[in-house]
Amino acid sequence: MRSWKIVVAGEGGQGVQALAQTLALAAYHGGLESLYIPNFGIEQRGGVSLAMVQLSAAPIGAPKFQIADLIVALSPRSYRRCFQHLGPETMVLYDSSLMEPPRVEDQVVGLQAYDTIAPEAFAERVGRHPRREESPPPGRRLIAIPASDLARKHLHPRVFNMIVLGAIGAITGMVELELIKEALAKKLDRRFAKDPDLKENNFKALELGWEKGTQAAKEAAVGAEV
Amino acid sequence: MKEAVEGEKRAFMSGNEVVAWAALAAGADFMYGYPITPQNEIMHYWRRLAPEYGRGFLQTEDELSAGFATIGGILSGKVAFSATAGPGTVLFQEPLSMAEMMRIPLVVVIQQRGGPSTATVIYSQQEVTLACFGGNGEGLRLVYSTSSHQELYDYTIKAFHRAWRYRFPTLVLGDGYQAKMHEALTLYNPQERGWGKVPAEPILGLDRKGSVRHLRNTFSVEEELAETLRRSLADYRKAAEELVEYEFLGEWGGELLVVAHGIVGRAARAAVRGLRAEGRRVNFFRPITLRPFPGQAFQEALRASGGALLVVESAQGQLGRIIKEALAEEESGSFQTLYRPGVGITAEEIMEAVPL
Repeated sequence: MRSWKIVVAGEGGQGVQALAQTLALAAYHGGLESLYIPNFGIEQRGGVSLAMVQLSAAPIGAPKFQIADLIVALSPRSYRRCFQHLGPETMVLYDSSLMEPPRVEDQVVGLQAYDTIAPEAFAERVGRHPRREESPPPGRRLIAIPASDLARKHLHPRVFNMIVLGAIGAITGMVELELIKEALAKKLDRRFAKDPDLKENNFKALELGWEKGTQAAKEAAVGAEV
Repeated sequence: MKEAVEGEKRAFMSGNEVVAWAALAAGADFMYGYPITPQNEIMHYWRRLAPEYGRGFLQTEDELSAGFATIGGILSGKVAFSATAGPGTVLFQEPLSMAEMMRIPLVVVIQQRGGPSTATVIYSQQEVTLACFGGNGEGLRLVYSTSSHQELYDYTIKAFHRAWRYRFPTLVLGDGYQAKMHEALTLYNPQERGWGKVPAEPILGLDRKGSVRHLRNTFSVEEELAETLRRSLADYRKAAEELVEYEFLGEWGGELLVVAHGIVGRAARAAVRGLRAEGRRVNFFRPITLRPFPGQAFQEALRASGGALLVVESAQGQLGRIIKEALAEEESGSFQTLYRPGVGITAEEIMEAVPL
């Protein structure tokens, strides 16, 4: 067992916080140390929404961290806010139906910025804005999952974040799928009781994401869409 | 009153929810508040839970009103509290000063946000000076700086007991990170951990012998004020010996002492553990009471660390100033004082104060 430092980055309204909070809650129910902290501005919708989650067998220190083990990118501009959390070993899971393969070359890795003053502007100002890369460089661990398309095609557009959550669960391997389902059911108990379809859709999305994540984790082929 | 927590139970929740549960478990009767991020959810959870446990809530028109309404509740003998942040903490200085003067057990939870002014709704440690010394007085307050959800629970409960026992306004100083982050803690019934009921009683009204109690915050002459302050300061100094709390990690023969408080204490502790694992002799000191400050323990920790100091905080030297004062005490051979709060000072007095 290892520990995971995870950043989830998306747009307000995409369900980034619900996803991250559910992951942390599931890990807690699984007997792990777990910490979730939201990071967003004052917008209710439409702003960049970041969440940090730490899962570990040992007690967790500071709520925020510099270098992530896993960045989950759900929109291009929110990913740009994550440059400061990118290290040489950082794995990047992204929604390939919403964005191009994210850039992870050395000029971006470990780039320092403040997430409260539009760090992409800061990066440009110091002349270190990343170049566009056509194909992900070798040795980087990029995982593409078209969560948004999958949700639209097979389930319901709103449950795309649960596909992402299922994939994170499978890739990190710290939390059982059943625990994630339980955590979600606990979080949405009243709404699930009112609407059994909602529960089924969410659970199916988790299962689909889990399946895609498991596949991705197995395939050493980096950057391949699964 | 229905018990909010029976036995012990593990929970995973946000810091704001922790504060609401702690206040319920401590037996708080009433919360008065005015919304401000990042403390809003303390109000939201309290308002949602309070009716279930026979407790009350009132949203006032602003923070000044929230502070004075809380004082009103307390004067009638209720265990009342409030919570605020940022510019709200600025407005709270007026009721907090009155509570210092009239020795009212006002409990306020502060979730620090960025400053000055509106700044950010997110996080900072910039309300240390306000929390400790914000009023037009001498800072006769008790300020707990917490670093985890467990401490947020423990010290919110403790704040009510300490405030009512020592009759100084008591603040629990959290921050936006602690307010919003989710982590695990153990909820418990304080009575099962040896805490009795909060020793609350009507402060205004008739005393046990049937005579009317008076509280004053206005004085006709300087000397009356000086006498009242002399008593309060003496009480505070005496209480300080019993109240100071801190965490120390390390031993004699250290090369450096890292000092941090609150949530930054977690990062500092982790850094010190990392450095020690690499063979560095770095020690760690975290004041839990920022006011009164555990000066003696700090000085011992500093001596154990060869006198070298690294102060870390999410502010431009607000903890640093408190540390400098503690250092000045250490070197009191060259740092003389003549303090006369609220009264004039004559040339003769100063001449007498100059050492031979």
